[in-house]
Amino acid sequence: MMEREAEHMANTVIGSSIVIDGEISGEEDLVVQGTVKGKISLKESLFVEGSGIVEADIQTQNVEVAGKVTGNINASQKVELKSDCRVVGDIRAPRILIADGASFKGNVDMDAKGR
Amino acid sequence: MATNKEMTGGAAGATVIGPTITINGKLSGDEDLTVRGRVEGEVTLTKTLFLEVSGVVKANVSVKNAVISGVVVGNVRATESVELTKEGRMVGDIAAPRVILVDGASFRGRIEMGDASVSRAAGDRVGRPARVSARPSAPPPRPPPPPRAEARGMANSKSTVTPILSKMESKSPPVPPALAGAGKRKVVVRKRER
Repeated sequence: MMEREAEHMANTVIGSSIVIDGEISGEEDLVVQGTVKGKISLKESLFVEGSGIVEADIQTQNVEVAGKVTGNINASQKVELKSDCRVVGDIRAPRILIADGASFKGNVDMDAKGR
Repeated sequence: MATNKEMTGGAAGATVIGPTITINGKLSGDEDLTVRGRVEGEVTLTKTLFLEVSGVVKANVSVKNAVISGVVVGNVRATESVELTKEGRMVGDIAAPRVILVDGASFRGRIEMGDASVSRAAGDRVGRPARVSARPSAPPPRPPPPPRAEARGMANSKSTVTPILSKMESKSPPVPPALAGAGKRKVVVRKRER
C-alpha cells in the first residue's frame, strides 16, 4: 500500500478538491482523489481513492476502486473493487476482484473472448 | 526562485497532470495544479497553476496565480499574478494585477493589469520600438550628396527644362548617350527632385 502511494506521487494525480468535467486520456497511471465526470481512457492503471468520485465511462488496463464510481468499467487486465468502494455500472475485464465490504451494482463480464 | 520550491512541494500532495495525459473539458478546484501534459477547455482554480515545460494548456484559465513554463493558447485571468518564465510561450490575453514576463519568454496578446492603461500600452508596444527606429534609419541614405554644387548649378539654370527632360529620360533612358558628361549630371538632378 505504501509503495503504491509512493508510486502515485510520481504520476498524474487529480487532487481531492479538483473537479474535472470532460475527457481524460493518457498513457500513464492516473490517481483520482477528486471528482471526474465524463470519460477516462488510459493505457495504464486508474486508481480511484477513497475520496475519489468518478462519474465516467472508464477504459483502461487496470482499475482499482476504493472510492465511488458510476459508469461502465472496461479494463484489458484487471478490475479491483476494494472494501468501502461503491460502484454502479457494468464491469468488463478478464480478472475482476471484489473485496469484502465493497458495494457493487451492475453486470460483470469476464469473458476474455469478447475482447 | 521560490516558485521552484513551491513547484516541487506542490507536486507532492496536490494535483499533477502527467506528461502523457490529455484532459478535454472543464477542470476546477481549490488546490495547486501542476500540468505536465495537455489540458484543453477551461481551467478554474482558487490557487496556483504551474504549467511546466512539457505542459500545454489550450484553455481559458482563471486562477489566483499562474507560473507558465510551457505553452498556453488562451486567455489567462489571475487574481494575483501571472509569470511567464524564460521557457514560457503564450498566445492570448493576460489579465492580472501583477504580470511578469521574464527575458526569453514568448508572448503575443494583450496584457491588462487592471488599474492602469499604461500596462496595456506597454504590452502592445513591446515589439514596436525596433521597427520605429528602423524606419527613420532608412530615409537618410537617399540624398546622394557628393556632386551637389555642380548639380545645383545645373538644376537652377535648367530648372524649367529639367522636369520635362527627366520625364523623357525616364521613359527612354538610352536617348542621351551622345551627351555622356551632361547625362551623368542630369541623373543626379533627377534623383534629387524625387
